[in-house]
Amino acid sequence: MAEMNVPESGGKKGKKKSRSKKMSTRVDLTAMVDLGFLLITFFMLATTFNKPKTMEVVKPAKDDDPNKKDQPAIKMSKTFTMLLGTNDKVYAYTSPDNIDENTELAVDSADYSPDGFRRILQNRQKECAAAWGHKDTLFVMIKPLPKSKVKNTVDALDEMSINGVKRYAILAPDDPVDSVICLKIGQERK
Amino acid sequence: MPKVKIPRKSTSIDMTAMCDVAFLLLTFFILTTKFRDQEVVQIDIPSSTAQIPIPDKDIMMFSVAPDGRVFFGLDDQNTRLGLLEKISERYQIQFTAKQQDAFRTLELWGMDLKSLPAFLDKDPSERASTIQPGLKIDTTGGETQVEDLILFSRQVNNNLRIAIKADKTTEYKAFAAIIDALQNRKVNRFNIVTSAKKARE
Repeated sequence: MAEMNVPESGGKKGKKKSRSKKMSTRVDLTAMVDLGFLLITFFMLATTFNKPKTMEVVKPAKDDDPNKKDQPAIKMSKTFTMLLGTNDKVYAYTSPDNIDENTELAVDSADYSPDGFRRILQNRQKECAAAWGHKDTLFVMIKPLPKSKVKNTVDALDEMSINGVKRYAILAPDDPVDSVICLKIGQERK
Repeated sequence: MPKVKIPRKSTSIDMTAMCDVAFLLLTFFILTTKFRDQEVVQIDIPSSTAQIPIPDKDIMMFSVAPDGRVFFGLDDQNTRLGLLEKISERYQIQFTAKQQDAFRTLELWGMDLKSLPAFLDKDPSERASTIQPGLKIDTTGGETQVEDLILFSRQVNNNLRIAIKADKTTEYKAFAAIIDALQNRKVNRFNIVTSAKKARE
């Protein structure tokens, strides 16, 4: 492959005519190609192709204003609360409007699979649509417990976008009902 | 009978075209490459169906390790310098020119601000091997180091977007602490960095 510029032999020997030798213009490119591919390999391996995506989160503002207490609270029967617990479990419940000592509350526990939590959420959306006319009336409160994983929160938020829940918020589990449930399921709340 | 002469063919191939292709590809890869950040800590991000790509610049990144340590990173070197200036003003820490230069190239760091000068004095290789303790988050006590970082960075560069890159297995507690600090500075909108996946049906 390598080409060498062999001087032309068999010319006129006797006459020493100082004729400038015609050099071949061909250059051996093998080494250059080698180098090129080496660098390509390096850059290919160093490149990050799939750019990470982001998920936008908007938290409700902390209200420092004590006068805000006058604002009407949302009707609890329009809400749906999900407590994110350890071991990839969700505890979901709908709190009734008024709670007294005779109130009984059904808490569903599920995992994050499509058959688990998603089904419960979709049922609740249907209930809301039947009761209030539109499924967007539903307000979902996501309450991650301190020992749950970040993955759980991301999954829960993802579930909101998959099911088209328009109104949801990440909140702290500081409702009295939450503390009762946390006691029952044996998880830390704070 | 005359002998049939088989002409000897040269084995050399014209490499020009191949060379062209190689360098064309090379150019492509050089231009598209964005080098992976030097990772202080290994973070395995959760996946979601979100489709918004992370912006290229003006990013303030909080990285949360699985054990709850929090690291801080700014993407722009000038913003970093501006931040350092404000830190030195607020905390009465004097940084030498060498330390400032070291901070300028620091992609991601997490420690008490008071131990920052000592850390910056180290060699780059020594710095990489040091285990950093994570930012000092103290949202209830008197210290507001993280809040100050957020505030100062935003003062230096007003367009900063805030991204939180947390490991899948990080406990929510550590995550909540950053959100708390952000909300103390009236930041209610931020991004969680995730990798793409398809929705399971």
